[in-house]
Amino acid sequence: MMPGDRILGAFAGMAIGDAAGWPSSRHRAGVHAPWSRRLHRELDAFAEEHRVTTLPVPFALNQPVAPLVIGPSDDAEWLAWTALTIDQDRAEAFTGLAGRDDIRARISVRTALDNLARGLGPPASGHDNPHFFDDAAVVRAVAFGARGLDPTADARVTNAGDGVLGAVAMARAIGVLVDGGQMGDAVEAALDALPDDTVIGRAARTALAVARRAGDPFGAVPALDAALFDHVYSYGVAAAETFPVALALAEVSGGSPGTAVPAAACLAAAADSAPALTGALTGAFTGHGALPSGWSTTLTGCCLPELAGIDLLDIARGWIA
Amino acid sequence: MTVTHRGRARGCLLGLAAGDALGRPAENLSPEQIAARWGRLTEIDGGGTDDTEYTIFAASLLVRHGHALTPQDVALAYRQEIIPLVDGPMKGAGFSELGAIQALRRGLEPPLTGQWHRHGWSDGLAMRAAPYGIFAAGDPGEAARLVEIDGSVSNAGEGILGGRAVAGAVAAAMTGASPQEVVAAGLAVIPEDSWTARNVNRAREAVLDPAGSGGVAARLHEAVVVRHYPWTDLAPEAVALAFAAYLLGGGEVEESVVVAANLGRDADTTAAIAGALAGAGRGEAAVPERWARQIGPVEGRCLPVTAGRHVLDVADQLVEGT
Repeated sequence: MMPGDRILGAFAGMAIGDAAGWPSSRHRAGVHAPWSRRLHRELDAFAEEHRVTTLPVPFALNQPVAPLVIGPSDDAEWLAWTALTIDQDRAEAFTGLAGRDDIRARISVRTALDNLARGLGPPASGHDNPHFFDDAAVVRAVAFGARGLDPTADARVTNAGDGVLGAVAMARAIGVLVDGGQMGDAVEAALDALPDDTVIGRAARTALAVARRAGDPFGAVPALDAALFDHVYSYGVAAAETFPVALALAEVSGGSPGTAVPAAACLAAAADSAPALTGALTGAFTGHGALPSGWSTTLTGCCLPELAGIDLLDIARGWIA
Repeated sequence: MTVTHRGRARGCLLGLAAGDALGRPAENLSPEQIAARWGRLTEIDGGGTDDTEYTIFAASLLVRHGHALTPQDVALAYRQEIIPLVDGPMKGAGFSELGAIQALRRGLEPPLTGQWHRHGWSDGLAMRAAPYGIFAAGDPGEAARLVEIDGSVSNAGEGILGGRAVAGAVAAAMTGASPQEVVAAGLAVIPEDSWTARNVNRAREAVLDPAGSGGVAARLHEAVVVRHYPWTDLAPEAVALAFAAYLLGGGEVEESVVVAANLGRDADTTAAIAGALAGAGRGEAAVPERWARQIGPVEGRCLPVTAGRHVLDVADQLVEGT
């Protein structure tokens, strides 16, 4: 394996997993004219009103079709932004985004940017935040882990509690893997960062137990759904749900992206980010050379317009060199 | 006119029920939408919601267990009196209540039941915190300790702090303290370094700032409302708006409740909290007669176990149990 191949694998795995989840094409449609997404909402309402089971999918009417081909979206773009800004003070890097009206981000990040704009810096910017628990910082932690850096200062700008713990656990697991470690070592390193008496710590251990009992990633899907999801809340990006899913599927697959990522994509409620996190962990284990070559890693600028057309792997390669 | 202890307790829960009922149709509306529909919303049209019923349920825990209340007592009450009666949809339940019930059904115990779901910071505890302040009148610390025990089943973090702030404030209001003293008492039982404390302080500044731009409603929204989040039941936001309304109303029941309801967001809960504070401070006789006439026994729409109970009887029971 070439030096740096596991770092490239982490980045490419994130992009592939991001692309594999169904929300990806909805995010990518963000570059379309707003009226085309309004039509999507109207078709959703039409399906409800007419009781038809033919549900709308993202479509291009008078719009470029390129964004709707399978490809990475929000998570890959925020990872790219993190890699590009990783040497900056984290509060300053985010403050540079505050006030911009052309970006898209998770609720935790949008709220943190508002907090920064009113002068409330970390850790309050991540704490006084309805989605302090989401996995925005877990996604970004892949970059910190690949560099062997502590993601805490970055995570605390946008998150608190489980959102920060998940980032630390992800960075430690990625750090072990890019140093050539086994998946079991990475799982242990992640668990060491997740105290038993936290929800994310308990959920991670529960997820690993049910996945081991099931014996394979696809077989573990219903057990993970039953063990982790209460299906009460409206959003599926809680770090205490998505990171445990990723960790458990990465382990039970023996580090195989080809079985772990599709299983993560089957958990519809977590499909926005669990496949991406799963892809990063398993890609960091196999290395880039072992990943399927047909998946695009080119960003479309759906969250950060300046990244349109940039290949996530070029950013990673520039980093390794 | 001297306000009796019993009169404060009855005023507190009557004010809460009135606020719940007045604010109900304004829930999740903006101040502009409320103004467009009602001009100023001042008249109760129909009954209250979850706020009053959960308050009655919380009071029943105190009447049975008093100062010895434990998280296990609360979890057992959920398992025996709420869960068996949930038949299909759980009407009026917020995320935190249903999330806690799912956690209890999973076999988890408090405090994990309040942490396992995503809405630990909901205002579901703040909305039912008033009985703890009545029960521990004059002792904000004890009121806060007791409400946290209740909240450990359903809430976590800032949701617990919201409950503590309201219970502590009601405990102070029950002594006839001024609105400023009442808000200070609520702040005194939560950490300064918390979202709830920061929001209450920002709201207090927005109320006091005569030079601020726009109307006070706009300033309050700017100060504490999370712009990029669709749900309105955040305890740090609801408690700050309720305390602000109570200050703006000068502690008067009608004005405090009306101001809260017309601020929108989680209007039934914010108006209920403002009504509880003002009612405790001014007593039953200060609740407008036209509102009091509208408050009958609850129907048990959200919590069937509370059906038929009237807040005034619940207030009397709390006073007898003190």
